Amino acid sequence: MCIIAGADAAGRPSAGRGVGFDVLADRETLDVIFSAWQWPRLEADIRQTGRVAATFVSPSDYVSFQLKGAATMQDTGAPDLDRAERFMTAATNELESLGVPRPLIAPWLTAREARVARLDIREIYVQTPGPLAGMLAGARSQ
Amino acid sequence: MSLRLSDLSACFEGVIPSIIATASADGMPNISYLSHVVRIDEEHVALSNQFFAKTAANVRANPKVTLILVDGFTGDQFLLDIGFMRSVDAGPLFDRIALQLKASSAQVGMSEVMRLRSADVFRVHGIEKVPSPVETAPGVVGRDSVSLPALSDAIKALERQADADEIIDSLLGGVQRVLGYDNALVLIHDSHRGSLVTTGSIGYERSGLGSEIASSEGLIGSAATNGQTIKVNDMSRVRRLGEAISLEAEASENATRVVTFPQLPRVVSQIAVPMVARNTLIGVLFIESTQRLAFREEDEAALEILAGQAAGALRASEREAAAAQPTQVPPPPRLASGGGEIRVVHHRVDDSVFVDGTYIVKGIAGALLRLMLEWHLKDGSEVFTNREMRLALGGRMPEIKDNLETRLLLLRRRLEEKQAPIQIVRVGRGRIRLEATGPLLLDAARE
Repeated sequence: MCIIAGADAAGRPSAGRGVGFDVLADRETLDVIFSAWQWPRLEADIRQTGRVAATFVSPSDYVSFQLKGAATMQDTGAPDLDRAERFMTAATNELESLGVPRPLIAPWLTAREARVARLDIREIYVQTPGPLAGMLAGARSQ
Repeated sequence: MSLRLSDLSACFEGVIPSIIATASADGMPNISYLSHVVRIDEEHVALSNQFFAKTAANVRANPKVTLILVDGFTGDQFLLDIGFMRSVDAGPLFDRIALQLKASSAQVGMSEVMRLRSADVFRVHGIEKVPSPVETAPGVVGRDSVSLPALSDAIKALERQADADEIIDSLLGGVQRVLGYDNALVLIHDSHRGSLVTTGSIGYERSGLGSEIASSEGLIGSAATNGQTIKVNDMSRVRRLGEAISLEAEASENATRVVTFPQLPRVVSQIAVPMVARNTLIGVLFIESTQRLAFREEDEAALEILAGQAAGALRASEREAAAAQPTQVPPPPRLASGGGEIRVVHHRVDDSVFVDGTYIVKGIAGALLRLMLEWHLKDGSEVFTNREMRLALGGRMPEIKDNLETRLLLLRRRLEEKQAPIQIVRVGRGRIRLEATGPLLLDAARE
C-alpha cells in the first residue's frame, strides 16, 4: 500500500492514497500515481509547494518506509495507467488474503483522473512499527 | 448536511488503520498509518502517537493535521482537518485510550509492539467524505438500532429477579433478545483465587461452567482489572491459538481440575463488559460473535446498562439471602434414597471436589460442598442456610460475604451438568437442601 502527503504554503497538510509507482533508472527518482478526482487537495498542494512524503507499507508484516523530497507534477501516460491497474489489483488481492473483505477495499483505490507526482528522493526513513521506527535509513547530500 | 464525529462511529473501531499527515515547521510533509483514533466528544479526537517521533514533533511545531479515517463497515473514507491541543500521559482519558489501544493492537497481533506512552488531543475543524469510485454496497450496513423499549423490558425483567441464577439467566436472555447475540458468558469475580469463574453460559457446545480466567488475562481480565468495557471487532487477522478443541478436553478435567473455557469457532468479534455495583467488581459479561464489527458504540452502551443492572441485582441478592430468617425452613425431605454409596473427595490445596471420581468444582464452591457434607455426616442435617455457611467459612475466606450466592449457584450448576448423584436445591431465600441418591462418604484428608 502507498499513502502520500503534501502541504500547502500555510503548512496545512493534505493526504491521499497512491495507486501505483515507478522507480526511475537513476534509482533516486520515483513516480507515484494518485487520483486527483479523489484527492484534489493533494494535487493542489504539490503544485503549490512541490514537497511530498510517500509511505510504502507491506500489509502482511507492516514493514514500512517513508520517502521524502521535492516533487513536480508530470503528464500521465498510458504506462502509468497500466501500472495503476496492476497496483490496484495486487493491493486488493493482498488485502483480501489478509482478511479484508473486497467490498471494503473498493472505495480506496481508483485511477480516475490519475496524476503522476515525480519525487526527487532526499530522505528515506524506516517506518516499521518498533524500535527502529523513524530512523533515517538514507539521505542524499544536497 | 455537514458531517459530525458521531456519524463516523464505525471509523473508531481500530479495524482499518487511519492515516495521519503532518507538516514540519519548514513545510515538509510526513505521513504514516495510525493504530487508533479515539472519539472524545463531537469536537475532539485523541490519537495514540506511541512510536512515530516525527509525527509527534511536527504537531508540536505545526498544529495543523489531516487525518484519513475509514468506516470499518463500508470502507468509506473521511478527511478530517484537526488541530493539536495538548498531550495527556495520565488520567481517565489516557486510561481509556490505553485500553482501547491494547484491544485494537491485539486484533492485529501487535499487542507486544504497541505500548502507549502518551496520547495527543486534537480539536476537529472540518470533516468531509472522500469521493468513492463505488456505491456503498447495499446490505453492508445491516443491523437496526438498539430498541430502547426492548432494553427497558429487559431491565424490568432483571429487576423482577431476586436470586442469583435468575438474575444471570435474565441477563443472558436480555443480551439475546435485545441485541441478538447468541454466544455469551457471565463470569463471576473470585478474589480468593484471583480469577473470574464462568457461572452462566448460552450458545456454546460446551457450557464451560466452572472454567476460570485469571484476573489479568486477555480481554476479560483487562475489563475486570480496568473496570472498562473492552472489545475487538475484527479478529480475522489474528492467528487463533487452540482453536480446535480436542474431544478429550472434558475428560481431562478429572486429571487437571481445570474446566476448558468455552470457544466459539470462527469468532471475529468479542466484547468484555465489567459488571460493577457501587465500585465493586461483581463479574464480567463476555460476548462473542462470528460477525465483523458486531459491537457498535450503541451496542456497547446497551450492554453496559444491562451489565450494571445485573451487577446491582446480584449484590442486592447476596444481601437479602444473608439476612434470610430461619423460620422459613421447609419440612425436611428424605436424603439417601436407597442408591449405592457416593464417595466425595475434597483436596485441601485448592478446595477441589470430586464426586465418584468426577471433577466438579474448586475454590469457594468446593469448600461449601465439603462443609455441607461434614455437617450432614455429623448430625444428619440436610437443609443449610447461607448465614451459617457464611459464618463457618468467613474466617478462612472473608470475601465470601459478597459472593456466597453465586458460588452456590456455580456448585449447583456443575453438579447438574455432571449429573452427579448429589444435587443441591434451593428451598427458599438464602436456604438450600442437599439431595443424594445414596449414603455419602467424605474423604477430606487429601492435600
